[in-house]
Amino acid sequence: NDCYSQSYPQLYEPGQRSLYFSKGAFIKCALHSCYSSLVLFFVPYAAVRDSVSTDGHDIADHQSFALLTQTCLTVTVCVQLGLDLSYWTAVNHLFVWGSLGMYFLVTFTMQSDGLHRLYASSFPFVGTAHNSLDQVTVWLTVLLTAVLCVLPVVVHRFLFMQLNPTINDKAQPPPPRRRARIRRSSTRCSGYAFSYAYGYGDLVTSKRFLRRPVPLRSAGSTPAGRSAAFRPAGRSAGYSPSGQ
Amino acid sequence: MAKNQVGAGPFARRPDNSAFKQQRLPAWSPSLTPHTVLSVFYGLSLICVLLGIWLLITVQNTYQLKVDYTNGSCKKCFEMRKYPANATKNCICTANFKVPKAFLGDVFFYYGLINFHQNLRRYMDSRDDAQLVGRKKSLKFPSTYCKPFAYDENGLPIAPCGAVANSKFNDSFRLVYHQLDGPAVTVPLHRRGITWYTDKNIKFHNPPTNTTLQEAFQGTAQPLYWQRPVYDLDPEDPNNNGFINDDLIVWMREAAFPNFKKLYGILNRAHALFSHGLPAGNYSIIITYNFPVQYFQGKKEVVVSTVTWFGGQNYFLPIAYLVSSGMTFIAAIVLTVIHVKVGRDGKNMEE
Repeated sequence: NDCYSQSYPQLYEPGQRSLYFSKGAFIKCALHSCYSSLVLFFVPYAAVRDSVSTDGHDIADHQSFALLTQTCLTVTVCVQLGLDLSYWTAVNHLFVWGSLGMYFLVTFTMQSDGLHRLYASSFPFVGTAHNSLDQVTVWLTVLLTAVLCVLPVVVHRFLFMQLNPTINDKAQPPPPRRRARIRRSSTRCSGYAFSYAYGYGDLVTSKRFLRRPVPLRSAGSTPAGRSAAFRPAGRSAGYSPSGQ
Repeated sequence: MAKNQVGAGPFARRPDNSAFKQQRLPAWSPSLTPHTVLSVFYGLSLICVLLGIWLLITVQNTYQLKVDYTNGSCKKCFEMRKYPANATKNCICTANFKVPKAFLGDVFFYYGLINFHQNLRRYMDSRDDAQLVGRKKSLKFPSTYCKPFAYDENGLPIAPCGAVANSKFNDSFRLVYHQLDGPAVTVPLHRRGITWYTDKNIKFHNPPTNTTLQEAFQGTAQPLYWQRPVYDLDPEDPNNNGFINDDLIVWMREAAFPNFKKLYGILNRAHALFSHGLPAGNYSIIITYNFPVQYFQGKKEVVVSTVTWFGGQNYFLPIAYLVSSGMTFIAAIVLTVIHVKVGRDGKNMEE
């Protein structure tokens, strides 16, 4: 909320420094995608290459392999998404679990007997989901792929959080108490966009907007700029060292 | 509703003060604390190592044997098949192999092809599923995807049309067991039940007929490379003719990779000698060598294999689990060290 953003004005710095939208960020994203793509193809490939199902029938046919790769991808994406979501409200739960459920629902519908009877040439995958998704190999492959794709991301994030935390990590809210707290679903306040504007640098450095002279807590922090015409009421009047 | 009560005023279009609209829904907020991350890593490492060991033990209990018969003892047939003029001539050869240890349980026989790309896009498109499901209209007018295997030179529609059906594998095998103290015995195989249930009963149907199957296929021609018409593929079993022929169905399920194997038969354990499986000893396969592979530098083989609840013999998954558990454990150690040295007191978190 706005009070929180005013107490941690450094949260605007990543935007001004183009920290998340730069060539470096693109290259990191591209490397992660390359690695994930290779894992998502070669792990299922190696797992079913020379194998058969539990009753000796085909498991390495084109349709089963396609379904296996698709399932690996969907599950990995959902796990990665779960990692990225920082606030799990009821709506988030609905959409994440719902996506996964919809995928299986649509797959089974498209590969059902009824649709094949109606349009045989358009729905040739009849029976594939039924025959391959009850194989233990398939689910173990899905689990392995999800682990191999997501764990490096967790390691990377955790390492950087420990060694070189960004301002977002430092400004994390205190760990939530067990009862349902009322909180906004975004840490960044609505004034985010205005950090790209030319700004109020002159106003800030001239200290004209401060109601009372307060010692700055550390050299790195700069108080949030607000136009002199706006009169904030209550505790957000100026920067206070206790961070309230 | 609150909007109606306010009416027209400066706050008339203000959204409702509900938790949903004001984004105040109760939320769970997970965060990457050292506690959770490290315990997840150690836990996952333990789970992966247990899974890996369990799978490794299971896979060790499967047996697989491959007998490559492209050349070698079948050289005469290999040379003969180089010339299309010999296509109608029969050629029979024998390949010998030894089973070192008895294969206990259900034993499956496969024919394998190396370097045959059934996953080529144009090849996979060259079929007509509507024809294979038994529609009369598609039988007489095959889909244009089947070109150039849709109509023969006399203008008759080909049934089944397409390149996939045309290149059906037509070698046949007879497995013989040479007993130490007794005559050679033909190993009995189940040649039914090798397809998926959905394939046999839903995806493939013969065209409906009141008379014989031959009548149903009147006015169609057999594919160019076939030796027998589709209604006479299995002279011994009348239920295994037409589009529902098991070998045809197994072949029509295209493989994903260029090196694949397809089920040929399952050991019939009703016979006294084979009631426990395949005994150890000397075997030979009598092969009717028809399928030419030198055009695509391919190879043919026979694969004999047992299966477990995990499937066939594939060491990749157990080894991959063990390796990833090792890597996860190393990562967990490294992260613990870093956390203890650098992050524990929250030194970096001050601002």
